[in-house]
This record gives sequence, C-alpha cells and structure tokens, in this order.
Amino acid sequence: MSRLARRLHVVIGKGGVGKTTVSAALGLQLSRAGRRVLVAEVRVQQIPRLLGAEGRGYEIVRIADRLEAISLDPKEAMREYALMRLHSKLLVRSLLENRVVTAFLGFIPSLPELVMLGKLLHCVRTGEWDTVIFDAPATGHGLTFLGVPQALRDAVPPGALRSEADWMQEILVDSTATAVELVTLPEELAVNETLELAEKAGQGLGLPLGRVLLNRHVPLRFSDEELKRLEVGIASEKLAAASRAAREHEIRARRSRHFEERLRSSLSLPLVTLPMLHPERAFGRAEIEALAERIEAAS
Amino acid sequence: MSALSSRLFEREVIVCVGAGGVGKTTVAATVALQAALSGKRAIVLTIDPARRLANALGLAELGNQATRVELPDAPGELWAMMLDLKRSWDEFITRTVSTEHRDAILRNRFYQTLSSSLAGSQEYIATEKLYELHSSGRWEVLVLDTPPTQNALDFLDAPRRILDFLGNKPLRRLLAPALVAGRFGLRLFQMGGKAILEGLSRLTGIETLEELARFLVEIQPTYDAFKERAAKVRELLASDRAAFLLVTTAHGTPVEEAISFHRMLVEAKTNVAAVIANRVHVDHLGELSLPSPEELADELLREGVPDSGQPALSERLARTLREMRALASLDARNLERLAASVHPTPQVRVPRFPADVYDLAALRMVADHLFSRS
Repeated sequence: MSRLARRLHVVIGKGGVGKTTVSAALGLQLSRAGRRVLVAEVRVQQIPRLLGAEGRGYEIVRIADRLEAISLDPKEAMREYALMRLHSKLLVRSLLENRVVTAFLGFIPSLPELVMLGKLLHCVRTGEWDTVIFDAPATGHGLTFLGVPQALRDAVPPGALRSEADWMQEILVDSTATAVELVTLPEELAVNETLELAEKAGQGLGLPLGRVLLNRHVPLRFSDEELKRLEVGIASEKLAAASRAAREHEIRARRSRHFEERLRSSLSLPLVTLPMLHPERAFGRAEIEALAERIEAAS
Repeated sequence: MSALSSRLFEREVIVCVGAGGVGKTTVAATVALQAALSGKRAIVLTIDPARRLANALGLAELGNQATRVELPDAPGELWAMMLDLKRSWDEFITRTVSTEHRDAILRNRFYQTLSSSLAGSQEYIATEKLYELHSSGRWEVLVLDTPPTQNALDFLDAPRRILDFLGNKPLRRLLAPALVAGRFGLRLFQMGGKAILEGLSRLTGIETLEELARFLVEIQPTYDAFKERAAKVRELLASDRAAFLLVTTAHGTPVEEAISFHRMLVEAKTNVAAVIANRVHVDHLGELSLPSPEELADELLREGVPDSGQPALSERLARTLREMRALASLDARNLERLAASVHPTPQVRVPRFPADVYDLAALRMVADHLFSRS
C-alpha cells in the first residue's frame, strides 16, 4: 500500500494545469493499489468520461474495480443538508421550493461551498471508501472551499452551522487523514501561484500538504553542442524542421528543469513529475493510465 | 486562417472573456498595445497578471491606478490598470450610500458576499469600473481582461443577480414588519411566513436572518442607483461601441467551454469580434511527411552532422518531430470543431511560444500573429 495514501486527497491548483486529469490518475493508481476510492468533482462530470465511463447526474458512478466518481452539486447538497437538519422530507421540499427561501439561502456567505464540502467530508467519514479524492475548483475558489469551516467558526455563534464547521475542520487539519496535492506546470505564473497556494493552504488554513505534481514536464533531450551543429547551414527541409523542433523542445525541457528545481528548493514537499503526453487521438484513458503508472512509480 | 484588423479599434470597449489559464491577460495586453501602436489612447484593465507581465506593464502593487507604459515608437498611448475588485465595490458603495449607513454596510457579512463571493459580483464590478473609465473620456480604447469564469452566464447574468440580491421583493416583504419595528429576534416568528422563517432559522440560525434584515434596510438607497447604473453598463456592452474577444487554448476542455461561451454571448446579442485560439502547437514540418530515424540519419550524414549519442541524435530528432506532429494535429482537430461551432465568427490562432510571454517584446510577437499587417 502506498505510504502516501490518506483518507482525503485535495487536488488543487491554478486553472488549466490539469487538476482533473491528475485527480483521475490518482484515483486509478490508488484503486489499483487496493484501496476503495471515490473521486469527487464540483458541478461538472468530467472524470467518468475521461476514464471511459458515463456520468449519471448526481448519483455515484462506478468506473472500475474499487473506483467510483461523484459530482457535487450545490442544490443537491443543500437538499441533503436540510434533510439532515429538519428530519422531514415534506418540510425540506416545501422550504427549498420556496422562492424566498432559495433567494435567502443564495445570500448566505459560502453556504453552497459549506454544504458541498459537508457532503464530501461525509463521504470521507462514512468509511465506505478508503480514500476520497477531491478535484477542487481553481486556486481562489478552491481556497474559499477549504477555508469555509474556519471562516464559519470565526464568524458564526455556536449553533447548527458552527457544529457542522467543527467536525469538518477536524478532518481537514488532521495530517493523518488529509493531504493537499498541489498540481502545477513548468511555467512562471503557475509556479508562483503554487508557492502562494502552498503558503495559504499550509500556514494560512493549517491544512497538511501532500505532494507537488509538476504536470506537462518535458525531459532534457539535446545537448548545446548538438543544437549548435543543427543550427547552421541545414539545406534539408526535414532536418531544418527537426532542428527547430529540437530547439523548442530543449527550451521547454530546460524550463521544466528550472521550475522543478525552484519548486524543490522553495517547498520541502515530495515532487512528482508527470510527463507531457502526445496522444495520437484525443486525451483519454490511455493517457490517464500512463500518469497513474508514473504516480505509482514515484510513491 | 484570419487575423484581427485594426478596425477592431473603432470599438471603444473590448472585453476579453474565457476560461481560467488560457492566456486572457496576454491577449488583452496585446490588444491594448496594438491599439497604442495604431495611434489610439488605450488602456488595459487586468485582474491578476503574472508578476513579470505586471512589471513589464509597470503596474504597481496598488490597484485601481492607471499607469502609463513607455512606448517611444507608438503614436498612441498605452496605459494599464490592475483592478482591485474589492476596492471597486467599496468605492461604489461609498459613492452611492449616505455616510450614516456606509460603515454598517461595509461591515455586514452579506456585503462581504456581495463584494467577493456572490457569483457574478467580480464580473459585475469589473464592467462597472470599465463603464466608469469609459465615461471619463480619457481613453479611446479600453480593453478589459475579465476574471476567470466557470460559466459565461456568470458574466452576462451578473447585473441581474446583483439586482436580485439588493432588491429581492418577496424577502423584503417577509421581513418588512420586523424592519419597520426596528426589532428582530423572536418578533420575526409572530408574523406571516412563520413556518418558513422557523425552517430557515433551523438551517442557519436566527442571527443570520437578523443580519440579512439589517442589510436589506441599509442597502435600500443603493438599489435604485445600482439599477440605473447596471442598465447603462449593459447597454454599453450590448452596443456597437463594444466588442468581445473569446479567448481559449486548443485543449479539449477549454474548446468545449469556448463553444458554450460563444453560444451564450451570441444569445445575449453581444458582438463577438473573434475567437482567439492561444498557444496552438505548430507543426514545423507543415505538409512534409514524418521522417523515420533512418531518413534523418541519412540527412545528418549528408549535412556532416555526427549522428552520435544514446539514443542516436537521428532517433531523438524523429521522436521530437513525432511528438510535435501529434500535439499539432490534436490541436488542429479541436480547432476545426471550434471553428465549425462558432461559424461565422472568425478564428484567430496564436502559436505556442517555447517560453512564456512576459515582456513588451514578447507581446509584440503575439501582436504579429493576432493582427494582420494591412
């Protein structure tokens, strides 16, 4: 069993860095290592499709042996939360179908985040799965999500909402239960944001940090000497194109190494590089499998 | 493949929209730069630029301050401003609310939602700021880099959502008796709608209800001013003085998002000038067939370059070309689908550069691809 496996993995990062891909790969890897895994995403349903299964509304979708996925929806999560509080389906229905009530609930700071996070952490608590992977929204919104319990504990007097916040916060800050996985790219903006994110999630919110997953990493392939020889006086069209491709490859490779080193020296966290992939057709199951194997090898 | 024409700058307001992480800021900055190079007084309003780009544009840490970017060879002017959305809200409230209510509003938790986390609030205040700067008449072309949106509707719906928030009539009616009495707490439950209020208080607590009631009283004077203003902002964005640029990359998910964004923008009767596909992988082989390692080995021999190393140079070159072609053809397929879905909106492609775009020289390079020279 992977020594890095926790009960909750929160996958977080800037928009467009590959959080969903990494969440799917992590889910595949942990389920293959024998854990019962649930992968959760917010409002969308991309993970079943990425892994070649069909999404079905807000029900839990079975993807593979020991691997399931769920899409968190604010309305559905609110309904479940209200049912838990009011113990009456009839009352819940009449309340949540009331326009005034829905308008009112829409005004409460961070309530959608709270009920969705509640649903997620409930899945962690039940023990039905060994590991829950949360494909969190992009940086700012992701942090809002994770900060909701703490914000409520600061702002709300003891009562219904406060006790919800208490048990949720307990799981989130428990370093034996939770790991925040930082996904990033070998690019300036993404790396800067990751360093800020690590600071805000770690010191700021007191969440245990897991790994850095450096996605779309390009390996070193050509020496300076080789690039120089290819640079001058190439008559062949194909070789000229190859020379150009090689130069661009190497710029990316060196930037990959530069940012890898920067992340390693700035954060004392395990770092996994996930290679840039070149699918012949669309990005899909085969690519996720390759990333899952890479994560397994690094675990 | 088409390019933007400088006729774009006949529009006074250009709004760049798109998912997070696709390079909206770069595109917005490039468009403003090109406007300045074509003789316009232009300003780019950005939300959260990369630090080096911010430095290149001379943006200070302080938000909401217009800064002139030195461009010795431009007949026009380039200005930049980093929007501080929270501050813009605070300024808006300060402008529209009387002093006696102001501080209470700024402290209210419901105002915190309104100014930071209510869906659409950031989008709204960004366009409100845009409107304010447009009205000032200081600039001929204003380019707005919008906050990353999960859903284009958040952007277009923003004024309606905010108005709902500020002027929710049913809720106001329900809470009105308590408001008039100036007393909250248990009094709420002596009124009509008792069951609803009781249910609500079991979900969120009575204090939250009271705070909302207070907020609705205090925000009342803002409502009409806001409504009037929101209508004007909307009018400007839907008029032919404004154009939208939809920015995406060629990756599968952003392309899907761009297609649905485009549909919503068109339905909202906004003027989408172009879809900009950013960071597109280019196949340097063009129409040439993919060479085998053997073919490349022969050519290396002919050119007198030693085919050394482990694996051999010819093999590594062949692999690099294969990878490049795979990325480029995947992008090309996604962009064909995009072009077909957004027809007849033109698609403009900007290649992916090996290094990030962070200075004015790099922005000029992007501009060369974005704009035709005619």
